[in-house]
Amino acid sequence: MAASRGWRLIRHGRCWLSQAEFSGAPGPPDSLYPPIVASATAKSKAAKRRRLEHFHQRVHEAASIEEKLRLYGLLQRPKYMVYPQTFAINADRWYQSFTKTVFVPGLPPRAAPEAARAPEPAAAAPEAAAGAAARVPGAAAPEAAAGAAARVPGAAAPEAAAEAAPDLDLGELRSLACDALLQESFYQNKKRPFLYRDQDHTPGPFLTQLISSLAALLCGRNPLLAASSLDLNPEVNYYWHHGEEVVVHGHRKGRVDPVRFQIDDHPHLQIRVPKQLPEVVPLESDLGDVPVIDHKPSKLPLFKKQYENKVFIGSKVADPCCYGHTQFHLIPDKLKRQRFLEANLEDQIEVTYRANGIASLFAWTAAQAMYQGFWNEADVTRPFVSQAVVTDGKYFALFCYQLNTLALTVETIQNNPRKNICWGTDSEPLYDVVEDGDVKGFNDEILLQLVQFLLNRPKEL
Amino acid sequence: MAAVRPGVPQPADTAQFRVSMEMTKVDIKNYLEKIYNVPVVAVRTRIQHGAHNRRNHKNQRVKKPDYKVAYVQLGQGQTFQFPNLFPEKEQTPEARSFDDFKNKYLEEEAQRQRGDPRRGGVPDWFGL
Repeated sequence: MAASRGWRLIRHGRCWLSQAEFSGAPGPPDSLYPPIVASATAKSKAAKRRRLEHFHQRVHEAASIEEKLRLYGLLQRPKYMVYPQTFAINADRWYQSFTKTVFVPGLPPRAAPEAARAPEPAAAAPEAAAGAAARVPGAAAPEAAAGAAARVPGAAAPEAAAEAAPDLDLGELRSLACDALLQESFYQNKKRPFLYRDQDHTPGPFLTQLISSLAALLCGRNPLLAASSLDLNPEVNYYWHHGEEVVVHGHRKGRVDPVRFQIDDHPHLQIRVPKQLPEVVPLESDLGDVPVIDHKPSKLPLFKKQYENKVFIGSKVADPCCYGHTQFHLIPDKLKRQRFLEANLEDQIEVTYRANGIASLFAWTAAQAMYQGFWNEADVTRPFVSQAVVTDGKYFALFCYQLNTLALTVETIQNNPRKNICWGTDSEPLYDVVEDGDVKGFNDEILLQLVQFLLNRPKEL
Repeated sequence: MAAVRPGVPQPADTAQFRVSMEMTKVDIKNYLEKIYNVPVVAVRTRIQHGAHNRRNHKNQRVKKPDYKVAYVQLGQGQTFQFPNLFPEKEQTPEARSFDDFKNKYLEEEAQRQRGDPRRGGVPDWFGL
């Protein structure tokens, strides 16, 4: 009786190794014997390969996306916890190497159709201009260069942005932003913030108020925003393998294991939409080099822990708003500008913004791709684009991410020329100072860029 | 505080030190910045437990002492590579005859017999 109980325990823990599961396809009909394949349980490389292929086949044939995600993250082992908001030195280069991301400074260039929407001085426009003119004017969107048969020179782009501005009524937007800012920091009578809670005291509520009112205002211009879902303090998780290492100590010492990573991110705000944003550059484009760091991730420093392998975009799979539009991140108190300046680390300020943008957006876009059924053995067939704004209340940095590949494991990365791309700006102040019920030095460009981010939508809409 | 060669490869901007057990990260940063003018960006420390399973000739367990290791990240783009303290000396490949070896040996022997020139010919065993 004890023997049968023990057998049941073993079966429950490792049941996918049983021979019954491995009795796969029968041989060709004219053969009397089953096909000759490697053993499934032997301690050999062929057996390990067969078990791996069996696992891949199980994930490929999973009945639903939830089942696929469950099988993908079934085996729990110690993994590196990657924190998007980190104080580590030069973290953005390390994160780029973990996620195979190319970082391109500046936002993606505006494509031809948008400049064609400006009045006649623009260059000769393709026939897309006819369709573009029928759309709401002034909706500037960083759209695909795929339709850019007639490439408008860069000089036309700022003119287009400036001419789009009057259609957008900048004054109304500026007053909206200033109202939100003054309400949170001047008119409302708040007590002193608790220790290390400065960001939750003023910049957090200001950001929430600003974005929700801006999104509500721009719903008329962007039907995608009308159908979107605004999440407050959502959770975004992603789990992936990249590279290989030898297990150092423990009962599995000496074995070669993939290096596992997990991102658990909590953006301040998030906008999810039912339709995907258009691609910025074609899937196979090469805009730079991925930094190669051949040290172990623990030198960053990065630490390992074993817990649930979660893949989550902010809502479950059945939610219709399964694509991402924009995330808004708030820099915590530990990573404030003032602390870096006091420690003589001015160059690391931008590094924190970039690391936050790259890691959060990679996790979000990759999780969106997994929600559509792609994974590292079934690479994405179309690029996934999302945007993010990283701010500490006063300084804003904007990021745009295009996910071109999920295949980052050792076997799949070998013949994979695709790289993920992240565009990002440096952090610029939105205003200089708030005193006596007045916002001094308001920067309209940042507001315009924010509005253009929110107005981004697919070409059909 | 002593700079040591890292056992596992460290990034180029990281130097590894063995420090006293009572030193803290702040102490190490101040020490390097003020005394040696080294720009320090971050310090991480750990305590290495000394093994306690060696046995001496009386079969008593002998403990190796614990020590603290500090990993210091340098600022301003500086890098540090622990130098090779024992480089290989090149052997000059000139042909030597037996006479050369004999003369060289006799010279060294005579030098040993002569004693310290600073004593002015006084034998070694003479002391006041």
